[in-house]
Amino acid sequence: MWLDLASFALTALGLFFFVAGTAGLLRFPDTFSRLHALTKADNLGLGCVALGVALQAGHWTDVLKLVLIWALALLAAGTVAQLVARAALAEPRARKGEGERP
Amino acid sequence: MNRRLIKAVLHRTALCAVIWLVLTRADPGGLLPGAAVVVVAVWLSLRLLPARHPLALWRLVLHLPRFLAGSITGGLDVARRALSRDMGLRPGWITLRADLPPGGRVALGAEVSLMPGTLAAGSRSDGQLLVHVLDTEAGFDRMLDREAQALARIAELEPTANAGERR
Repeated sequence: MWLDLASFALTALGLFFFVAGTAGLLRFPDTFSRLHALTKADNLGLGCVALGVALQAGHWTDVLKLVLIWALALLAAGTVAQLVARAALAEPRARKGEGERP
Repeated sequence: MNRRLIKAVLHRTALCAVIWLVLTRADPGGLLPGAAVVVVAVWLSLRLLPARHPLALWRLVLHLPRFLAGSITGGLDVARRALSRDMGLRPGWITLRADLPPGGRVALGAEVSLMPGTLAAGSRSDGQLLVHVLDTEAGFDRMLDREAQALARIAELEPTANAGERR
């Protein structure tokens, strides 16, 4: 019962961070700031959802599987954010609405 | 076999074995094929990514709590800005001198991108990591130096990284 409630709370919190990340993606002014919103908020959101689901796991390997999924998503988020940012630096269209360049 | 290779083989075997156990739910019937698969996987990984820099795994584990705390603060900060009326963004760029091997620099960039308010955007020709800062007045860049040094120690290098100047 308490475990179920904790699961509900954690997954709801995770969804909240996904919504916040999406809001940032839509509201932030330039490509680079939008990447901040996507990587960081979604990473935390997925962590909360994974934690909530882990409480319902029937086998200890299921918990580790969720950890593995989260770690892979982190790795992908960190790598892809860098790649998109690097590509955006070279892409003139991304310069709209953004301040000084390095 | 040198020490570095032995260490890499041990680390990778452990990692692959854990992944196999997790994916097969530690089914006893899967242990034998698993042993063969792990050997092939480790051999293949050594072919694709030769053991160049041994990692100090215990330092990586010690680094985890700070990484988790940083991820949480980073997510909270960006969520707060995204949902507030005045997002308070003051974007800017800084550079970070990171004397890490190329793979280490990518790892540092990935970590920096998940920490509060900073995002790596590749490195310049002189090897400096280019970092986008969400709010130049929130002091996000103060921790970068420490992150770079922590990663250098995990890669068992002499920590020489130094936070660059504000741009």
